[in-house]
Amino acid sequence: MSMSRIKKMLLAILIILIVIQFIQPARNTSGQVLQTDIVKVSNVPQSVQTVLKTACYDCHSNNTRYPWYANVQPMGWLLARHVKEGKTELNFSEFGAYSTRRQANKLRAIENTIKDGTMPLSSYLLLHKDARLTETDKKEIINWALQAKDNLEQNKP
Amino acid sequence: MSSVVFTACDNGNNKSDENAETNKRSASETTPSSNPNAEATPIEGIVSGYLSLKNALANDNSKDAANAGNAIVEAMNKIDKSSLTEDRMKLYADVEEDAKEHAEHIGSNAGNIKHQREHFDMLSKDMYDLVKSFGTGQTLYHAFCPMYNDNKGAYWISETKEIKNPYFGKEMPTCGEVKEEIKQ
Repeated sequence: MSMSRIKKMLLAILIILIVIQFIQPARNTSGQVLQTDIVKVSNVPQSVQTVLKTACYDCHSNNTRYPWYANVQPMGWLLARHVKEGKTELNFSEFGAYSTRRQANKLRAIENTIKDGTMPLSSYLLLHKDARLTETDKKEIINWALQAKDNLEQNKP
Repeated sequence: MSSVVFTACDNGNNKSDENAETNKRSASETTPSSNPNAEATPIEGIVSGYLSLKNALANDNSKDAANAGNAIVEAMNKIDKSSLTEDRMKLYADVEEDAKEHAEHIGSNAGNIKHQREHFDMLSKDMYDLVKSFGTGQTLYHAFCPMYNDNKGAYWISETKEIKNPYFGKEMPTCGEVKEEIKQ
């Protein structure tokens, strides 16, 4: 390959990189706390609320705190996809709109994924050191999830 | 009984199409009866998908379990909700989203049988409520394994009295007991 061909290719790549910067995905930031938010429908201890917001809400709510690289494509696109998938799986902002049985199952899934360490995702933890859960954090979340699930099942219609 | 097993082992679309046809015909030909068991049940496809899922898990076969999960989703998509009585419509609406989510997860987790079993546990509760309300035209058994989920226990529904544990598979095939016979 001649020098000039390499230069042409690098230039083409550079142009593509510049062009894709203008294709910004929509942001997941509603800014409001809905009536269906888990903190409105369940008795979530303050300490657990803080952990949920720091370690879970980025992908599991209508409000993502975006890192600087979200402005750089294709990183922003990847993030948008992760958030979309996370919200399909569990959206704390819309928790109250789930059926009672789905709420109970989600609480159980929270308990299990925290216990197994499958959540928060290790790839997320690499870039979000503040989202690492201490043993106390884990215990608090698990206890809350168990308690909330019991309450749901007792109040079943 | 052999026809039951045949249905349960068949994940294909043809069978559930046939079932849907049969349901339509029997619904139009017979006058509405106060006895819900007299007519063919609209959830037959879902139940047969569930039973093949249960058998796949009891055999530790994650791939067959995934296929059965997908078959349940397909059967659920074919349900004509407007044809249901008010009570059943209400129950089905309550169960639908949850059950479909479990079936989808089971379908997309071939190779992760542990995760499939977690969803099977939750799906089994939905299925019990459906079966109790809709009837199935066959006698089913509500079985319980006391050891699953950290000894919290878990139920499943079976077409046979014989215990073949879907939660532990071949590791503990006979763990569990029948708690209820669901007569049709």
